[in-house]
Amino acid sequence: MASYTKAAQQWATFARAWYLLDAKMQPPGKIAAATVIRLEGRHKPIYHALSDCGDHVVIINTRHIAFSGNKWEQKVYSSHTGYPGGFKQVTATQLHLKDPTAIVKLAVYRMLPKNLQRRTMMQRLHLFPEDVIPEDIEKNLLQEIPQPRAVPRRLDEYTPEEIAAFPRVWTP
Amino acid sequence: MVLLSAPRWLRSRLSDRFWRVQEVLKYARHFRGRKNRCYKLAVRSVRRAFVKSTKARREKKRFLRALWITRIEAASLEHGLKYPAFISNLLKSQVELNRKMLADLAIYEPKTFKSLAALAQRRRQEGFLAALGDGKEPEGIFSRIVHHY
Repeated sequence: MASYTKAAQQWATFARAWYLLDAKMQPPGKIAAATVIRLEGRHKPIYHALSDCGDHVVIINTRHIAFSGNKWEQKVYSSHTGYPGGFKQVTATQLHLKDPTAIVKLAVYRMLPKNLQRRTMMQRLHLFPEDVIPEDIEKNLLQEIPQPRAVPRRLDEYTPEEIAAFPRVWTP
Repeated sequence: MVLLSAPRWLRSRLSDRFWRVQEVLKYARHFRGRKNRCYKLAVRSVRRAFVKSTKARREKKRFLRALWITRIEAASLEHGLKYPAFISNLLKSQVELNRKMLADLAIYEPKTFKSLAALAQRRRQEGFLAALGDGKEPEGIFSRIVHHY
C-alpha cells in the first residue's frame, strides 16, 4: 500500500546518520569498539554486510585519550617502510606526540572487519584532536554516543561538603 | 529424425550439438572471462559452481542465523537489553519465537518488538527478585509457567 509517509519513513530508515563521540579520558580500545559498531551499521535492525548501512562517526578530543596501565610506555606500534633496515618501532607516547589522532585511527582500522568495505568505513570516520570541529560537519551531527567509561572525579573536584559527608570506613 | 535403414544410421552425425552446448553455457553466462563463452572451460566452471552451490546450502543456514542474531541484538540494544538477556528471558516467559521471526518483527513491527523487549525486561527483574529476595515477596506474574498438557 503506497503512501507518501511510508516513502519518507523508508528514506529515513536507510539514511546515513552522523554521530559524535567524546574521547576525553576514555580508553582508545573502547572508543574504537563503540565506533566500529556504528561504522558497520550493526546498531541497525536492517543490518547486512553488503547493504552499505554504516553511519558517520566524529570523534573529538583524541589528544586526551587515556590508556590504562603502563601502555603509554609499553605499547609499541611497529611499521616497515619496505626498504631494508626500515623496521620502525615507536612507543604509544612517541606516536601520540607525532600525531594525536593516530592511536584512535589505528585502533579503529584494526578492529574493523578485514574486507573491502574497511577503507570506505574509514573514510566515514572523522577524527579531531581537540573540541574544534569544522562547521559543515558540526551541522550534520545527529546524536552523541554515550562514553564507554565513566570518568572518575579527581579529589580536588569534590566539594568540601561531599568529602565531609562521605562515610568513615575506619578510624586512623 | 527417423533413419529408415542401417547405412543411413551408420552415416548419421550429431545434429543437436548446439542445444547440448547451450544447456551448459546458459549457466555460465554471468561468469568472468572466457569461461562464459567457451564450452571446454565452461563445463569445468559450471560443474564447480554447482558443487559449491550444493555445499553452500548448509552454510546458508548458519549464515542466516548469524544475521538474524545480529539484527535482534541491534534492535534489543535500542531498547536497552543485551541479546543473551533478551533471548533467555523471552524463553523463560514461554514466548517461543525463533530468531527469524524476531528479526522480521524487529524490522517491520517495531512496536511489537518493543513490547517483547519490555516483557523480557520484566521477566528479568522478576528473576532477580526471586534469586535475591527472601521469598517473602509474591511470585512474579510473568514467571508463571503455563502447562499445555
